[in-house]
Amino acid sequence: MSGLPQVVGRACVILALLVRSAPAQVIPYQRPVDTAPQADSIGGGYKVPAVQKPLPRDYWLQVLDVVALAAAMGISIWLVLKRRSRKWLTALTIASLAYFGFYREGCICPIGSLQNVVVALADPKYSIPMVVTATFVLPLMVALYFGRAFCGGVCALGAVQELVVLKPVQVPRRLDRALGLLKYVYLALAILFAVKPALTRDFLICRFDPFVGFFRRTGAPHMLVLGGAFLVLGMFVGRPYCRYLCPYAGLLAWCTRLARRGVTITPNKELDCGLCAEACPYGAIEKMRAVRRNCLYCARCYSSCPCERGVAP
Amino acid sequence: MNQDLTRRTVLAVLAGGAVFLVKKANGQIVWQVNAARCINSRLGDAGVEACNLCTTECVVALSAVRAVNEYSKCGRCNICPAYFNITSAVNELGQPSEKLCPRDAIARKPIGKVDPEDPANNFYEYIIDEEKCDGCGKCVIKCKEPLGLGSITLRVRYDKCVNCNRCSISRACPQNALMQLPIDQAL
Repeated sequence: MSGLPQVVGRACVILALLVRSAPAQVIPYQRPVDTAPQADSIGGGYKVPAVQKPLPRDYWLQVLDVVALAAAMGISIWLVLKRRSRKWLTALTIASLAYFGFYREGCICPIGSLQNVVVALADPKYSIPMVVTATFVLPLMVALYFGRAFCGGVCALGAVQELVVLKPVQVPRRLDRALGLLKYVYLALAILFAVKPALTRDFLICRFDPFVGFFRRTGAPHMLVLGGAFLVLGMFVGRPYCRYLCPYAGLLAWCTRLARRGVTITPNKELDCGLCAEACPYGAIEKMRAVRRNCLYCARCYSSCPCERGVAP
Repeated sequence: MNQDLTRRTVLAVLAGGAVFLVKKANGQIVWQVNAARCINSRLGDAGVEACNLCTTECVVALSAVRAVNEYSKCGRCNICPAYFNITSAVNELGQPSEKLCPRDAIARKPIGKVDPEDPANNFYEYIIDEEKCDGCGKCVIKCKEPLGLGSITLRVRYDKCVNCNRCSISRACPQNALMQLPIDQAL
Protein backbone atom coordinates (compact mmCIF):
# COMPACT_ATOMS: atom_id res chain seq x y z
CA MET A 1 0.00 0.00 0.00
CA SER A 2 2.88 2.35 0.64
CA GLY A 3 3.50 2.65 -3.10
CA LEU A 4 0.18 4.32 -3.68
CA PRO A 5 0.05 8.07 -3.45
CA GLN A 6 -1.47 9.17 -0.20
CA VAL A 7 -4.19 11.17 -1.91
CA VAL A 8 -5.46 8.16 -3.81
CA GLY A 9 -5.46 6.14 -0.61
CA ARG A 10 -7.63 8.76 1.05
CA ALA A 11 -9.90 8.81 -1.97
CA CYS A 12 -10.38 5.06 -1.72
CA VAL A 13 -11.33 5.30 1.94
CA ILE A 14 -13.85 8.02 1.19
CA LEU A 15 -15.16 6.05 -1.74
CA ALA A 16 -15.54 2.94 0.38
CA LEU A 17 -17.71 4.98 2.73
CA LEU A 18 -19.71 6.41 -0.12
CA VAL A 19 -20.38 3.18 -1.98
CA ARG A 20 -21.34 0.97 0.94
CA SER A 21 -25.00 0.97 0.02
CA ALA A 22 -24.54 1.31 -3.77
CA PRO A 23 -24.64 -1.59 -6.25
CA ALA A 24 -21.45 -3.56 -6.73
CA GLN A 25 -20.66 -2.28 -10.22
CA VAL A 26 -19.16 1.08 -9.30
CA ILE A 27 -16.23 2.73 -10.96
CA PRO A 28 -13.10 2.73 -8.78
CA TYR A 29 -12.67 6.46 -8.64
CA GLN A 30 -9.34 8.11 -8.43
CA ARG A 31 -8.43 11.61 -9.33
CA PRO A 32 -6.29 11.51 -12.46
CA VAL A 33 -4.50 14.82 -11.89
CA ASP A 34 -3.10 16.68 -8.91
CA THR A 35 -2.85 20.02 -10.64
CA ALA A 36 -5.16 21.55 -13.17
CA PRO A 37 -3.96 21.22 -16.78
CA GLN A 38 -3.57 24.62 -18.39
CA ALA A 39 -3.91 25.75 -21.97
CA ASP A 40 -0.26 24.95 -22.79
CA SER A 41 -0.29 21.45 -21.23
CA ILE A 42 -3.56 20.54 -22.93
CA GLY A 43 -2.35 21.85 -26.27
CA GLY A 44 -4.27 21.87 -29.52
CA GLY A 45 -4.88 25.61 -29.33
CA TYR A 46 -7.17 25.16 -26.34
CA LYS A 47 -8.25 28.35 -24.66
CA VAL A 48 -9.32 28.47 -21.02
CA PRO A 49 -12.80 29.95 -21.02
CA ALA A 50 -13.37 33.12 -19.04
CA VAL A 51 -15.33 32.77 -15.82
CA GLN A 52 -18.55 34.70 -15.92
CA LYS A 53 -18.46 37.58 -13.49
CA PRO A 54 -21.66 39.51 -13.94
CA LEU A 55 -21.69 43.00 -12.48
CA PRO A 56 -24.51 44.49 -10.46
CA ARG A 57 -27.07 46.75 -12.07
CA ASP A 58 -25.43 49.69 -13.84
CA TYR A 59 -25.01 52.81 -11.79
CA TRP A 60 -26.90 54.98 -14.24
CA LEU A 61 -29.87 52.60 -13.98
CA GLN A 62 -29.82 53.08 -10.21
CA VAL A 63 -29.81 56.83 -10.74
CA LEU A 64 -32.69 56.32 -13.17
CA ASP A 65 -34.71 54.78 -10.33
CA VAL A 66 -34.29 57.98 -8.32
CA VAL A 67 -35.22 60.09 -11.35
CA ALA A 68 -38.28 57.88 -11.90
CA LEU A 69 -39.22 58.34 -8.25
CA ALA A 70 -38.95 62.13 -8.51
CA ALA A 71 -40.83 62.19 -11.82
CA ALA A 72 -43.62 59.96 -10.50
CA MET A 73 -44.06 62.24 -7.48
CA GLY A 74 -44.18 65.27 -9.75
CA ILE A 75 -46.81 63.64 -11.95
CA SER A 76 -48.76 62.56 -8.88
CA ILE A 77 -48.87 66.14 -7.56
CA TRP A 78 -49.90 67.51 -10.94
CA LEU A 79 -52.64 64.90 -11.43
CA VAL A 80 -54.11 65.35 -7.98
CA LEU A 81 -53.79 69.08 -7.42
CA LYS A 82 -54.15 70.40 -10.98
CA ARG A 83 -55.82 67.80 -13.20
CA ARG A 84 -57.86 66.46 -10.26
CA SER A 85 -58.20 63.21 -12.11
CA ARG A 86 -58.72 59.93 -10.32
CA LYS A 87 -58.60 58.03 -13.63
CA TRP A 88 -55.12 59.19 -14.57
CA LEU A 89 -53.91 58.77 -11.04
CA THR A 90 -54.98 55.13 -11.18
CA ALA A 91 -52.96 54.80 -14.37
CA LEU A 92 -49.94 56.27 -12.56
CA THR A 93 -50.53 53.88 -9.65
CA ILE A 94 -50.52 50.91 -12.00
CA ALA A 95 -47.39 52.20 -13.74
CA SER A 96 -45.61 52.68 -10.39
CA LEU A 97 -46.65 49.23 -9.25
CA ALA A 98 -45.32 47.78 -12.48
CA TYR A 99 -41.99 49.64 -12.32
CA PHE A 100 -41.12 50.00 -8.62
CA GLY A 101 -43.00 46.85 -7.64
CA PHE A 102 -42.80 44.13 -10.21
CA TYR A 103 -39.88 45.32 -12.34
CA ARG A 104 -37.60 46.59 -9.57
CA GLU A 105 -38.97 43.93 -7.24
CA GLY A 106 -39.68 46.39 -4.46
CA CYS A 107 -36.03 47.42 -4.01
CA ILE A 108 -34.97 50.07 -3.29
CA CYS A 109 -37.81 51.87 -1.56
CA PRO A 110 -37.87 54.93 0.70
CA ILE A 111 -39.49 52.90 3.50
CA GLY A 112 -36.57 50.50 3.74
CA SER A 113 -33.96 53.18 3.01
CA LEU A 114 -34.92 54.68 6.34
CA GLN A 115 -32.96 51.89 8.03
CA ASN A 116 -29.90 52.43 5.86
CA VAL A 117 -29.90 56.11 6.78
CA VAL A 118 -30.16 55.22 10.46
CA VAL A 119 -27.31 52.71 10.18
CA ALA A 120 -25.17 55.18 8.24
CA LEU A 121 -25.69 57.81 10.92
CA ALA A 122 -24.93 55.36 13.73
CA ASP A 123 -22.05 53.36 12.23
CA PRO A 124 -19.15 55.41 10.84
CA LYS A 125 -17.90 52.43 8.81
CA TYR A 126 -21.17 51.78 7.03
CA SER A 127 -21.25 52.96 3.43
CA ILE A 128 -24.63 54.10 2.21
CA PRO A 129 -25.05 54.37 -1.57
CA MET A 130 -25.93 57.82 -2.85
CA VAL A 131 -29.13 56.59 -4.49
CA VAL A 132 -30.41 55.24 -1.17
CA THR A 133 -29.90 58.62 0.50
CA ALA A 134 -31.72 60.34 -2.35
CA THR A 135 -34.56 57.79 -2.21
CA PHE A 136 -34.97 58.51 1.47
CA VAL A 137 -34.83 62.28 1.32
CA LEU A 138 -36.89 63.09 -1.81
CA PRO A 139 -40.38 62.04 -0.62
CA LEU A 140 -39.82 63.86 2.67
CA MET A 141 -38.88 67.05 0.85
CA VAL A 142 -41.96 66.73 -1.32
CA ALA A 143 -44.09 66.15 1.78
CA LEU A 144 -42.81 69.43 3.24
CA TYR A 145 -44.45 71.28 0.34
CA PHE A 146 -47.29 69.15 -1.00
CA GLY A 147 -48.16 66.44 1.53
CA ARG A 148 -47.94 62.71 1.02
CA ALA A 149 -47.73 62.72 -2.78
CA PHE A 150 -45.36 59.76 -2.56
CA CYS A 151 -48.01 57.57 -0.92
CA GLY A 152 -50.60 58.25 -3.61
CA GLY A 153 -49.48 57.00 -6.97
CA VAL A 154 -45.81 56.22 -6.39
CA CYS A 155 -45.18 53.83 -3.49
CA ALA A 156 -45.39 50.24 -4.72
CA LEU A 157 -46.56 48.94 -1.35
CA GLY A 158 -49.29 51.55 -1.34
CA ALA A 159 -50.19 50.90 -4.97
CA VAL A 160 -50.83 47.21 -4.49
CA GLN A 161 -53.23 48.03 -1.63
CA GLU A 162 -54.75 50.98 -3.47
CA LEU A 163 -55.84 48.72 -6.31
CA VAL A 164 -57.60 46.18 -4.09
CA VAL A 165 -59.79 48.69 -2.20
CA LEU A 166 -63.22 47.21 -2.87
CA LYS A 167 -65.79 48.12 -0.23
CA PRO A 168 -64.04 50.20 2.40
CA VAL A 169 -65.65 50.60 5.80
CA GLN A 170 -65.07 53.68 7.95
CA VAL A 171 -62.87 52.72 10.86
CA PRO A 172 -64.17 54.40 14.06
CA ARG A 173 -62.12 57.54 14.59
CA ARG A 174 -60.72 56.54 17.96
CA LEU A 175 -59.69 53.07 16.82
CA ASP A 176 -58.13 54.62 13.71
CA ARG A 177 -56.07 56.99 15.87
CA ALA A 178 -55.00 54.23 18.26
CA LEU A 179 -53.97 51.87 15.47
CA GLY A 180 -52.15 54.75 13.79
CA LEU A 181 -49.78 54.87 16.75
CA LEU A 182 -48.55 51.38 15.86
CA LYS A 183 -46.45 52.81 13.05
CA TYR A 184 -44.41 54.83 15.51
CA VAL A 185 -43.81 51.70 17.57
CA TYR A 186 -42.69 49.91 14.39
CA LEU A 187 -40.48 52.88 13.50
CA ALA A 188 -38.84 52.76 16.92
CA LEU A 189 -38.29 48.99 16.67
CA ALA A 190 -36.84 49.29 13.16
CA ILE A 191 -34.38 51.96 14.36
CA LEU A 192 -33.51 49.93 17.43
CA PHE A 193 -32.66 46.83 15.42
CA ALA A 194 -30.78 48.80 12.76
CA VAL A 195 -28.38 50.58 15.12
CA LYS A 196 -27.07 47.32 16.57
CA PRO A 197 -23.48 46.23 15.77
CA ALA A 198 -22.95 44.89 12.25
CA LEU A 199 -23.37 41.16 12.84
CA THR A 200 -26.51 41.32 14.98
CA ARG A 201 -28.04 44.11 12.91
CA ASP A 202 -31.42 43.37 11.43
CA PHE A 203 -33.57 45.22 8.95
CA LEU A 204 -37.09 44.60 10.20
CA ILE A 205 -38.87 46.68 7.58
CA CYS A 206 -37.34 44.70 4.71
CA ARG A 207 -37.68 41.38 6.47
CA PHE A 208 -41.34 41.86 7.32
CA ASP A 209 -42.37 43.65 4.16
CA PRO A 210 -45.68 41.89 3.45
CA PHE A 211 -45.83 42.58 -0.30
CA VAL A 212 -42.25 42.14 -1.50
CA GLY A 213 -42.91 38.41 -1.92
CA PHE A 214 -45.55 39.20 -4.54
CA PHE A 215 -43.21 41.59 -6.33
CA ARG A 216 -40.51 38.95 -6.48
CA ARG A 217 -42.97 36.13 -7.19
CA THR A 218 -41.20 34.11 -4.51
CA GLY A 219 -40.78 34.33 -0.78
CA ALA A 220 -41.18 32.68 2.58
CA PRO A 221 -44.65 31.04 2.85
CA HIS A 222 -45.57 32.83 6.07
CA MET A 223 -44.77 36.23 4.55
CA LEU A 224 -46.83 35.46 1.44
CA VAL A 225 -49.75 34.44 3.66
CA LEU A 226 -49.34 37.65 5.66
CA GLY A 227 -49.27 39.68 2.45
CA GLY A 228 -52.39 37.92 1.22
CA ALA A 229 -54.09 38.63 4.54
CA PHE A 230 -53.19 42.33 4.22
CA LEU A 231 -54.66 42.41 0.72
CA VAL A 232 -57.90 40.70 1.81
CA LEU A 233 -58.15 43.07 4.77
CA GLY A 234 -57.34 45.93 2.38
CA MET A 235 -60.52 45.24 0.41
CA PHE A 236 -62.57 46.40 3.40
CA VAL A 237 -60.15 48.58 5.37
CA GLY A 238 -58.37 50.95 3.00
CA ARG A 239 -54.59 50.48 2.89
CA PRO A 240 -54.10 48.96 6.34
CA TYR A 241 -50.31 48.73 6.06
CA CYS A 242 -49.93 52.40 5.07
CA ARG A 243 -52.23 53.73 7.75
CA TYR A 244 -51.26 51.60 10.71
CA LEU A 245 -47.83 50.10 10.16
CA CYS A 246 -45.71 51.93 7.60
CA PRO A 247 -42.85 53.51 9.61
CA TYR A 248 -42.01 55.92 6.81
CA ALA A 249 -45.60 57.18 6.89
CA GLY A 250 -44.85 58.42 10.39
CA LEU A 251 -42.03 60.61 9.07
CA LEU A 252 -44.10 61.77 6.10
CA ALA A 253 -47.05 62.62 8.35
CA TRP A 254 -44.76 64.73 10.47
CA CYS A 255 -43.44 66.60 7.42
CA THR A 256 -46.95 67.27 6.12
CA ARG A 257 -47.62 69.45 9.15
CA LEU A 258 -45.51 72.06 7.41
CA ALA A 259 -46.93 71.44 3.94
CA ARG A 260 -47.73 74.52 1.90
CA ARG A 261 -50.38 72.81 -0.21
CA GLY A 262 -52.44 69.66 -0.07
CA VAL A 263 -55.63 68.15 -1.38
CA THR A 264 -58.46 70.65 -1.12
CA ILE A 265 -61.67 69.08 -2.20
CA THR A 266 -63.35 72.12 -3.69
CA PRO A 267 -61.18 75.17 -3.34
CA ASN A 268 -63.77 77.74 -4.42
CA LYS A 269 -67.20 76.62 -3.35
CA GLU A 270 -67.89 74.10 -0.66
CA LEU A 271 -71.30 72.69 0.06
CA ASP A 272 -70.26 70.99 3.29
CA CYS A 273 -72.42 68.04 2.25
CA GLY A 274 -69.98 65.49 3.65
CA LEU A 275 -70.14 63.17 0.64
CA CYS A 276 -66.38 63.30 0.31
CA ALA A 277 -65.87 62.09 3.88
CA GLU A 278 -67.90 59.02 3.05
CA ALA A 279 -66.00 58.47 -0.16
CA CYS A 280 -62.59 58.61 1.52
CA PRO A 281 -61.55 55.03 2.27
CA TYR A 282 -58.76 56.21 4.56
CA GLY A 283 -60.72 58.34 7.01
CA ALA A 284 -58.61 61.34 6.06
CA ILE A 285 -61.46 63.84 5.83
CA GLU A 286 -62.34 65.38 9.16
CA LYS A 287 -64.83 68.21 9.55
CA MET A 288 -65.30 68.29 5.76
CA ARG A 289 -61.61 69.02 5.13
CA ALA A 290 -58.83 66.71 4.03
CA VAL A 291 -56.29 66.23 6.80
CA ARG A 292 -52.87 66.41 5.18
CA ARG A 293 -51.35 64.12 7.77
CA ASN A 294 -53.59 61.25 6.67
CA CYS A 295 -54.46 62.14 3.08
CA LEU A 296 -52.94 59.56 0.76
CA TYR A 297 -53.43 61.51 -2.49
CA CYS A 298 -55.85 59.02 -4.04
CA ALA A 299 -58.23 61.66 -5.50
CA ARG A 300 -61.33 59.60 -4.72
CA CYS A 301 -62.99 62.56 -2.96
CA TYR A 302 -63.16 64.57 -6.19
CA SER A 303 -65.41 62.13 -7.98
CA SER A 304 -67.78 62.02 -5.01
CA CYS A 305 -68.14 65.80 -4.96
CA PRO A 306 -71.20 67.31 -6.63
CA CYS A 307 -69.32 70.56 -7.25
CA GLU A 308 -66.46 68.77 -8.84
CA ARG A 309 -68.73 66.82 -11.16
CA GLY A 310 -70.64 69.94 -12.11
CA VAL A 311 -73.94 68.63 -10.73
CA ALA A 312 -74.29 71.27 -8.05
CA PRO A 313 -74.23 74.96 -8.99
CA MET B 1 -44.38 79.81 14.81
CA ASN B 2 -43.45 80.97 11.35
CA GLN B 3 -44.27 77.97 9.17
CA ASP B 4 -42.13 79.03 6.22
CA LEU B 5 -39.12 79.37 8.48
CA THR B 6 -39.70 75.96 10.07
CA ARG B 7 -40.13 74.33 6.69
CA ARG B 8 -36.91 75.86 5.48
CA THR B 9 -35.14 74.68 8.62
CA VAL B 10 -36.36 71.10 8.15
CA LEU B 11 -35.45 71.25 4.47
CA ALA B 12 -31.96 72.47 5.36
CA VAL B 13 -31.55 69.67 7.90
CA LEU B 14 -32.66 67.07 5.35
CA ALA B 15 -30.40 68.45 2.64
CA GLY B 16 -27.47 68.77 5.06
CA GLY B 17 -27.98 65.20 6.25
CA ALA B 18 -28.14 63.98 2.67
CA VAL B 19 -24.93 65.78 1.75
CA PHE B 20 -23.22 64.36 4.85
CA LEU B 21 -24.28 60.81 3.92
CA VAL B 22 -23.32 61.22 0.28
CA LYS B 23 -19.87 62.47 1.29
CA LYS B 24 -19.50 59.50 3.61
CA ALA B 25 -20.37 56.98 0.86
CA ASN B 26 -17.35 55.01 -0.30
CA GLY B 27 -18.36 52.70 -3.10
CA GLN B 28 -20.79 49.87 -3.43
CA ILE B 29 -20.86 47.06 -0.87
CA VAL B 30 -22.04 43.63 -2.01
CA TRP B 31 -22.55 40.20 -0.46
CA GLN B 32 -20.21 37.34 -1.32
CA VAL B 33 -19.66 33.75 -0.21
CA ASN B 34 -16.41 33.16 1.62
CA ALA B 35 -15.31 29.87 0.03
CA ALA B 36 -12.89 29.18 2.90
CA ARG B 37 -15.82 29.12 5.31
CA CYS B 38 -18.60 27.59 3.19
CA ILE B 39 -19.03 23.99 4.33
CA ASN B 40 -19.43 22.87 0.70
CA SER B 41 -16.07 24.18 -0.45
CA ARG B 42 -13.82 24.40 2.59
CA LEU B 43 -11.36 21.57 3.19
CA GLY B 44 -12.20 18.79 5.57
CA ASP B 45 -15.73 17.61 6.32
CA ALA B 46 -15.56 15.12 3.40
CA GLY B 47 -18.51 12.78 3.22
CA VAL B 48 -21.02 15.15 4.80
CA GLU B 49 -24.22 16.06 2.99
CA ALA B 50 -24.11 19.16 0.82
CA CYS B 51 -25.58 22.23 2.53
CA ASN B 52 -28.28 23.81 0.38
CA LEU B 53 -29.25 26.77 2.55
CA CYS B 54 -28.17 29.14 -0.23
CA THR B 55 -30.95 27.64 -2.37
CA THR B 56 -33.63 27.58 0.27
CA GLU B 57 -32.95 30.88 2.04
CA CYS B 58 -32.26 33.30 -0.82
CA VAL B 59 -35.12 35.67 -1.63
CA VAL B 60 -34.35 35.49 -5.35
CA ALA B 61 -36.07 32.81 -7.46
CA LEU B 62 -33.79 29.72 -7.55
CA SER B 63 -31.08 31.67 -5.74
CA ALA B 64 -28.63 34.48 -6.39
CA VAL B 65 -25.90 32.04 -5.32
CA ARG B 66 -24.72 29.82 -8.15
CA ALA B 67 -21.96 27.27 -8.53
CA VAL B 68 -19.09 28.74 -10.52
CA ASN B 69 -16.34 26.67 -12.10
CA GLU B 70 -13.02 28.49 -11.98
CA TYR B 71 -11.72 26.99 -15.23
CA SER B 72 -8.07 27.68 -14.50
CA LYS B 73 -8.31 25.38 -11.47
CA CYS B 74 -10.44 22.66 -13.10
CA GLY B 75 -8.73 19.27 -13.51
CA ARG B 76 -10.88 18.54 -16.59
CA CYS B 77 -11.10 14.96 -15.32
CA ASN B 78 -12.37 12.10 -17.44
CA ILE B 79 -14.67 10.99 -14.64
CA CYS B 80 -15.57 14.24 -12.92
CA PRO B 81 -17.02 13.58 -9.45
CA ALA B 82 -19.09 16.74 -9.72
CA TYR B 83 -20.52 15.83 -13.11
CA PHE B 84 -21.14 12.11 -12.55
CA ASN B 85 -22.71 10.48 -9.56
CA ILE B 86 -19.67 8.30 -8.99
CA THR B 87 -21.56 5.96 -6.70
CA SER B 88 -23.97 4.94 -9.48
CA ALA B 89 -23.56 1.75 -11.53
CA VAL B 90 -21.11 1.75 -14.43
CA ASN B 91 -22.58 1.77 -17.94
CA GLU B 92 -21.16 0.22 -21.12
CA LEU B 93 -18.93 3.27 -21.74
CA GLY B 94 -17.17 2.66 -18.46
CA GLN B 95 -18.72 5.77 -16.93
CA PRO B 96 -21.10 6.14 -14.00
CA SER B 97 -24.62 5.95 -15.39
CA GLU B 98 -26.08 8.88 -13.44
CA LYS B 99 -25.28 12.55 -13.39
CA LEU B 100 -24.91 14.32 -10.09
CA CYS B 101 -26.63 17.63 -10.80
CA PRO B 102 -30.36 17.36 -10.08
CA ARG B 103 -31.04 20.20 -12.51
CA ASP B 104 -28.69 18.98 -15.24
CA ALA B 105 -26.87 22.29 -15.22
CA ILE B 106 -23.37 21.00 -15.99
CA ALA B 107 -22.39 20.43 -19.62
CA ARG B 108 -19.44 18.22 -20.57
CA LYS B 109 -17.54 18.46 -23.79
CA PRO B 110 -14.29 16.79 -24.83
CA ILE B 111 -11.19 18.86 -25.46
CA GLY B 112 -9.39 17.80 -28.64
CA LYS B 113 -9.29 14.15 -29.69
CA VAL B 114 -10.62 11.46 -27.37
CA ASP B 115 -8.37 8.43 -27.06
CA PRO B 116 -10.48 5.51 -25.75
CA GLU B 117 -7.32 3.51 -24.87
CA ASP B 118 -6.01 6.14 -22.46
CA PRO B 119 -8.95 7.55 -20.52
CA ALA B 120 -6.78 9.25 -17.91
CA ASN B 121 -5.30 11.57 -20.51
CA ASN B 122 -8.56 12.65 -22.08
CA PHE B 123 -9.61 16.13 -21.03
CA TYR B 124 -13.13 17.40 -20.74
CA GLU B 125 -14.44 20.87 -20.26
CA TYR B 126 -17.21 21.24 -17.68
CA ILE B 127 -19.33 24.31 -18.10
CA ILE B 128 -22.00 25.18 -15.56
CA ASP B 129 -25.13 26.70 -17.02
CA GLU B 130 -25.65 29.31 -14.35
CA GLU B 131 -29.20 29.98 -15.52
CA LYS B 132 -30.15 26.43 -14.55
CA CYS B 133 -28.06 26.22 -11.39
CA ASP B 134 -29.82 26.85 -8.08
CA GLY B 135 -26.71 26.77 -5.90
CA CYS B 136 -27.56 23.53 -4.09
CA GLY B 137 -23.87 22.82 -3.57
CA LYS B 138 -23.94 19.12 -4.50
CA CYS B 139 -21.21 19.56 -7.13
CA VAL B 140 -19.24 21.93 -4.92
CA ILE B 141 -18.85 19.44 -2.11
CA LYS B 142 -17.70 16.72 -4.55
CA CYS B 143 -15.15 18.86 -6.34
CA LYS B 144 -12.71 19.26 -3.47
CA GLU B 145 -9.91 17.31 -1.89
CA PRO B 146 -9.53 14.37 -2.06
CA LEU B 147 -11.89 13.70 -4.98
CA GLY B 148 -11.49 16.92 -6.93
CA LEU B 149 -9.34 19.99 -7.12
CA GLY B 150 -11.83 22.43 -5.65
CA SER B 151 -12.44 24.45 -8.79
CA ILE B 152 -16.18 24.76 -8.21
CA THR B 153 -17.31 27.17 -5.51
CA LEU B 154 -20.55 28.88 -4.64
CA ARG B 155 -20.64 32.56 -5.53
CA VAL B 156 -23.13 35.35 -5.40
CA ARG B 157 -24.08 36.38 -8.94
CA TYR B 158 -24.48 40.13 -8.95
CA ASP B 159 -26.91 40.20 -11.86
CA LYS B 160 -29.24 38.07 -9.72
CA CYS B 161 -28.53 39.40 -6.22
CA VAL B 162 -30.84 42.18 -5.05
CA ASN B 163 -28.31 43.14 -2.38
CA CYS B 164 -30.60 42.90 0.62
CA ASN B 165 -29.61 44.98 3.59
CA ARG B 166 -29.25 41.81 5.60
CA CYS B 167 -28.81 38.83 3.29
CA SER B 168 -31.30 36.09 4.24
CA ILE B 169 -28.69 33.42 3.61
CA SER B 170 -26.28 35.14 5.97
CA ARG B 171 -28.92 34.96 8.67
CA ALA B 172 -29.27 31.20 8.17
CA CYS B 173 -25.68 30.20 7.36
CA PRO B 174 -24.24 28.21 10.28
CA GLN B 175 -20.68 28.94 9.11
CA ASN B 176 -21.12 32.72 8.75
CA ALA B 177 -19.82 32.28 5.23
CA LEU B 178 -21.54 35.31 3.73
CA MET B 179 -19.78 38.61 4.06
CA GLN B 180 -20.09 42.13 2.75
CA LEU B 181 -17.27 43.44 0.62
CA PRO B 182 -16.60 46.42 -1.61
CA ILE B 183 -17.54 45.42 -5.15
CA ASP B 184 -13.98 45.58 -6.53
CA GLN B 185 -12.75 43.05 -3.94
CA ALA B 186 -15.70 40.71 -4.30
CA LEU B 187 -15.39 39.55 -7.92
